[in-house]
Amino acid sequence: MAKKATKIGRYKILGELGRGAMGVVYKAEDPNLDRIVALKTIILTDDAKGRDEYRKRFFLEAKAAGKLNHPNVVTTFDCGDHEGMAYLAMELLEGTDLRTRMTTKGVTPLEAVDIAKQVAEGLAYAHERGVVHRDIKPANIMLDERGRAKIMDFGLARMRIADHKTSTGMVLGTPRYMSPEQIAGQPVDQRSDIFSLGIVLYEMLTGTRLFSGEDIHQVEYSIREVDPVPPTRVMPGLPAMLDFVVARALKKDPAVRYQDAQQLAADLATCLAELRSQPVPASAETEGSRTVKLEPSGDKNVEAPAARAIAVDTRLPLSRLLDNSAALKRIAGARPGELAHTPQSVGAVRRLFADDAVRRLCLLSLFASVAGAYVALI
Amino acid sequence: MNSSIVASVVFLKILDFARRPASEQARMRAQLEAVLAVVTADIAPASRIVVEASDGAAVVLIGDPISALRLGQRALTAAAAGLPLSGGLNHGALQISGGKGAEGLRGDGMAVAASIAESAAASRLLASRSFRDALADAAPGREAELVPAGTYSDAGLRSHEVFAPDDKALARRRRRYAAATVALMVAFFGAGLGWRVMADGNKPFASPEMANHYFRALVQRVSY
Repeated sequence: MAKKATKIGRYKILGELGRGAMGVVYKAEDPNLDRIVALKTIILTDDAKGRDEYRKRFFLEAKAAGKLNHPNVVTTFDCGDHEGMAYLAMELLEGTDLRTRMTTKGVTPLEAVDIAKQVAEGLAYAHERGVVHRDIKPANIMLDERGRAKIMDFGLARMRIADHKTSTGMVLGTPRYMSPEQIAGQPVDQRSDIFSLGIVLYEMLTGTRLFSGEDIHQVEYSIREVDPVPPTRVMPGLPAMLDFVVARALKKDPAVRYQDAQQLAADLATCLAELRSQPVPASAETEGSRTVKLEPSGDKNVEAPAARAIAVDTRLPLSRLLDNSAALKRIAGARPGELAHTPQSVGAVRRLFADDAVRRLCLLSLFASVAGAYVALI
Repeated sequence: MNSSIVASVVFLKILDFARRPASEQARMRAQLEAVLAVVTADIAPASRIVVEASDGAAVVLIGDPISALRLGQRALTAAAAGLPLSGGLNHGALQISGGKGAEGLRGDGMAVAASIAESAAASRLLASRSFRDALADAAPGREAELVPAGTYSDAGLRSHEVFAPDDKALARRRRRYAAATVALMVAFFGAGLGWRVMADGNKPFASPEMANHYFRALVQRVSY
């Protein structure tokens, strides 16, 4: 890699598109088909045994990714190895990746839901064919000029993660977008991609980072333990249904998450229809970056727990729809203990006066006993 | 604000909420909110607090278990059209905490109501023993409306004796008490009569002519 490559395999290098942890991405020309491609190179390890294993795995993953042909998945044309490095020839896209788009122009809610829906459709297609991405993040989603979203790097995350685990015991990649089961090192399936897409969707909608921390441990803790603030509490104009979509995609337990990306895509399609039917507010700007001020992480932003999870010390937020101020005012103005009356057991005398059936029984029995006494004695 | 109260809690839970598509979740949530708006309409705002749960909602009624029972029953009836709800009723301690505008509710009163709602089947309302006691305290005799429905242990292995509302239970109790009243009346009057018979032997209480006259008049009236 030290010398500047002019040709890799049969591909003629036209220029460098970018550099990543795994290698370099070139713009290249396929002379056989006279086609311009993106050529992604991956440096193979120096260890001969490790290299053979890695090479084998790389070709397996590349073959699986090569079978994917969907409008929302970047097509892989070819793969091979050349002078100690493996390469993938992929569809070259004119456009920008989602990460760049989010940090520069920003994404409107309509665009965010549209992008997430397209990515979910691409994922659904791949998952049906047994291919799990494992590294869904904004940098791996390309947007072309017509607004079409395409998922990049199918299968490569597995290479990267496996490689890291065997060599250093660390999990590299992008922890901020990993699912709880991925962080725990458990086997992952399509539901892990859904969790990652949920994070991407959340960040697009709110313009804020969902799981962040000063170090990887804090990020991992957040992913495992912290329930996200519903998007509508951060961006009040969003449709309420997006809260449910995001909450379900971000369930910590994969069993209660969306079970397949098609379900997620269907729900996002409904949200999209709702967003499209909303009148565009006059102040809505699509140009320029958005800065969203998050409220301090007080309890009022915490999502209400489900019935199953409510314990004695679980704090439930008051309803946002029904006004509770009158009751709160009453409680605040009450004397200590005034509203803390515990039920007393009902004694016989109180029951005699308050319970109709008992009162009737006693009165009529009394009357009968008086009548009986009259007959007996007079 | 940090206050403690003892109040009745009606916890309404949408069944299998987490497993439903988000579009259905949104629809059900909107339905539940509509149901809550309807059933709380006739309750004084100063007597109720509505709190949110991710799969339902709870209404806290201050010092009014009778309204809590009626609200729970009305909510389940109103929700029968397409909203699979279960309900839990409890009476217990609650604490309101948090700054102005960010208040929240916690406590055993809420936890037990949620746990009971979690255990209840669709369209079923269950109440705890403490709720039944509170109902008896508020309106002695009304507690008969809640009939034993078994016991169960929650996730924390705490046992709860639960009761279910039974519309006919009050009528049955009224009939039982009426029967007991009649029996007691007959017994008391009969005892007096028996005493008199024992004391006076065969001596009639009334003259035979008078008895005959009244008997004939009675037979005539019945015949025509």
